[in-house]
Amino acid sequence: MPAIEANGLERTFEGGIHAVAGVDLDVAEKEIYAFLGPNGAGKTTTVRMLTTLLQPTGGSARVAGFDVVAEAANVRRSIGVALQEAALDPLMTGRELIRLQATLHGLSRQAGREKADSLLERVDLVDAADRQVGTYSGGMRRRLDLASALVHEPKVLFLDEPTTGLDPVSRRTIWEEVEQLNREGTTVFLTTQYLEEADQLADRVGIIDFGRIVAEDTPGRLKAGIGHPHLEIRLVEDVAERAREVVAGFGKPRPSKDGAVLVELEGGAGGVAPVVRALDDAGLAVESLDLVEPTLDDVFLEKTGHHLEPEEPEAGESE
Amino acid sequence: MGWRKSMEATWALVRRAANELLRGVLAPTIFFLGLTSVFGALDNLAGFPAPYKDWLIPVSLLQGAGFTGAATGVNLARDIEQGWFDRLLVSPAPRPVILAGLVLSAALRSLIPAIFLLIVGFAIGVQWPGLDGLLIALLVVMGMGTVAACWGTTLALKYRSQSAAPLMQAGMLLLVLTTTAYAPLALLTGWLHTVARYNPVTQVVEAARQGFIGSVTWGNTWPGLVALAGLLAVLSALALRGMHRTAI
Amino acid sequence: MTRTDLRVVAALGARSVKQTFRRPQLLAPIVVFPSILLAIQTAGAGQAVNLPEFPPVNSFLDFMLAGAMIQATLLAGNSGGIALAVDIEMGFTDRLLAAPISRFGMVLGRLAGTGVLSLLAGIWFIVVGLIFGAQINDGVPGVIVMLLLVTLSGLAFGGIGAAVALRTGRASVVQGLFPLVFVILFLSSAFFPQDLLTGPAATIAQYNPLSFIVEGIRDPVISSLTWEVFGKAIASLALVGAIGIGLSALALRRRLRAGG
Repeated sequence: MPAIEANGLERTFEGGIHAVAGVDLDVAEKEIYAFLGPNGAGKTTTVRMLTTLLQPTGGSARVAGFDVVAEAANVRRSIGVALQEAALDPLMTGRELIRLQATLHGLSRQAGREKADSLLERVDLVDAADRQVGTYSGGMRRRLDLASALVHEPKVLFLDEPTTGLDPVSRRTIWEEVEQLNREGTTVFLTTQYLEEADQLADRVGIIDFGRIVAEDTPGRLKAGIGHPHLEIRLVEDVAERAREVVAGFGKPRPSKDGAVLVELEGGAGGVAPVVRALDDAGLAVESLDLVEPTLDDVFLEKTGHHLEPEEPEAGESE
Repeated sequence: MGWRKSMEATWALVRRAANELLRGVLAPTIFFLGLTSVFGALDNLAGFPAPYKDWLIPVSLLQGAGFTGAATGVNLARDIEQGWFDRLLVSPAPRPVILAGLVLSAALRSLIPAIFLLIVGFAIGVQWPGLDGLLIALLVVMGMGTVAACWGTTLALKYRSQSAAPLMQAGMLLLVLTTTAYAPLALLTGWLHTVARYNPVTQVVEAARQGFIGSVTWGNTWPGLVALAGLLAVLSALALRGMHRTAI
Repeated sequence: MTRTDLRVVAALGARSVKQTFRRPQLLAPIVVFPSILLAIQTAGAGQAVNLPEFPPVNSFLDFMLAGAMIQATLLAGNSGGIALAVDIEMGFTDRLLAAPISRFGMVLGRLAGTGVLSLLAGIWFIVVGLIFGAQINDGVPGVIVMLLLVTLSGLAFGGIGAAVALRTGRASVVQGLFPLVFVILFLSSAFFPQDLLTGPAATIAQYNPLSFIVEGIRDPVISSLTWEVFGKAIASLALVGAIGIGLSALALRRRLRAGG
């Protein structure tokens, strides 16, 4: 039985906006599945439907074996949800929040108290446990939110942009925790606008754009599907046009990025030297030269026709 | 900023101004009409010199000025939160000029609720105070608006946060209501009798009130003006001090 | 309602009470503001008891206590609505809706908190009143009935606040009801005897449910509560409560369908 299953899932909002326009999902148990896409691609809307917060306007979905509409209560019992940083009450202490969450999931007083202790320990918030959340840093809030989603040891964990806006160190802490949870047997469904996050964490990645999944596979296979590494050439002068003509004979040209000239090399590293010679012969001075293995960004570009370049979002702002 | 965003921003500003105006105008009017209906029968007491609505309207006028003036403080606190005010402070304009600009606009704006309230008052039969009585009342209203703006500015500079807003409003409310607001001094009981006797705003209220309940005399006017001048001197000094501290 | 649902309501109620004590801006309208108004009005209009039509009372403070209490419960209902709207705005309600609890539990939790805060405000005003010389004619049973009615008022007005919060989802809209609270108060016998009100207020106050509720809270202090007055107070509370909770339920259903 898949942990998450969706067939033609759709959500149309008033005014006819198709936020999610037919999404199929099949996430196996104990898998980490990442939904990768820019702001407004439909990530959050999909998660809200899978977590029973929003009713689909078309299609169906099952989570942990239960239908998200007909058996919503059973779905809620089986899932842990960390939605957005802002969903924390700044006036509550960390400990109070986790204990409230335990009550919401029917744990007894005693069990809730013990759970709060162990979870706070787990996410390293013991010292801050009795401070109001309003005084927490962004990373601490995400850790608290993650811990609060774990009180009832859910089978499936939904994390909506768990690291958006975090510094690299905090981001890595969250990743390690997610990996640890997954090793313990939790299925994880996360959304992200960071390529690196999807690449590092996910067993499989679904690329979503304009409410549809445009590609889905393991990060490795997605990248391999793009084919060959490419050469990224930067020139001393602004002579990109001429350079493009020169290298056109060595491989498929690709849309340029930040003024650099990109060309695919079918032969891999062995094809570099002839390109350099040709540029030299044409009298073009090369500033730098990089052989770039395909990234998820290339996959994204290939599948959607545009780059995925998340701007550093302002605090609290996301999809 | 795209045209849509700037339209939204403009619209938000318009709405904010409208809200403020509504609240500044609405609150004193509700209190005036409400208290007139509720405590109106008090004018049957022996020693009550005038119909209750004539007695109360100057109080509501001053309350409106207090609200409007305090709003200056709330706006300033928001500007401080958003960093606008620092930009103003690095400009070469002298501090007293900046303060004067803030409070004088409050003085003018406090005329808006006053005029609205007067129209409502006359519509329900408040006595015409005579041109001299009306002018003195409006002058006092502007003075009170200035005092309230200084108070709001002082608190805004001290707390640098909009959460001080209730303090700005409550302070002015207390100042205006702990006077002969509800009844003549002789009819006030307990602690309020004592406080109202020494609260300088009592003189301000009486100055604004004289035309509505009788005729205007210099003897009823000057104590109010002196009291206003005194309040203004103290509170503008506090506000200026706050500004100089902020600048460091 | 399962056992878990009841525990959830209690936990959410406790949260909303703590929240109020942790943020002075939330506590001020419930306790500080009505206390100041009570002090000023009692001293400012105190001679009213000498009016020939004024009902026999020990002091004007005795008469005013009920008004202050009802004002506190109205403002508590308003604050509760604001807090619920803030929960919606910041997504805290999603946390509750993603959990396996009764959907209406989150509204009931908020109402429970408002009820407790109203009870506390009621106790505060009785204590303040007693310190400053009020005499409660019906004694301890009177106090119990007063506190019961005050708590129920909090629930009823909290329902109205919650309905507006759920319908609009915006704290600023609920906050905008603040002046309305005073309109309702001034158009009732909360601050002055029904027979002494003037103008249109005198007529409206005769039919304002708030007048009946206030009189139910006031009579144990100044005279003796009769079954008739008590019955009218309870019936008025039931009416306001049914409207508030009914509208809340409708607004919640609508919100859930639209997807919050």
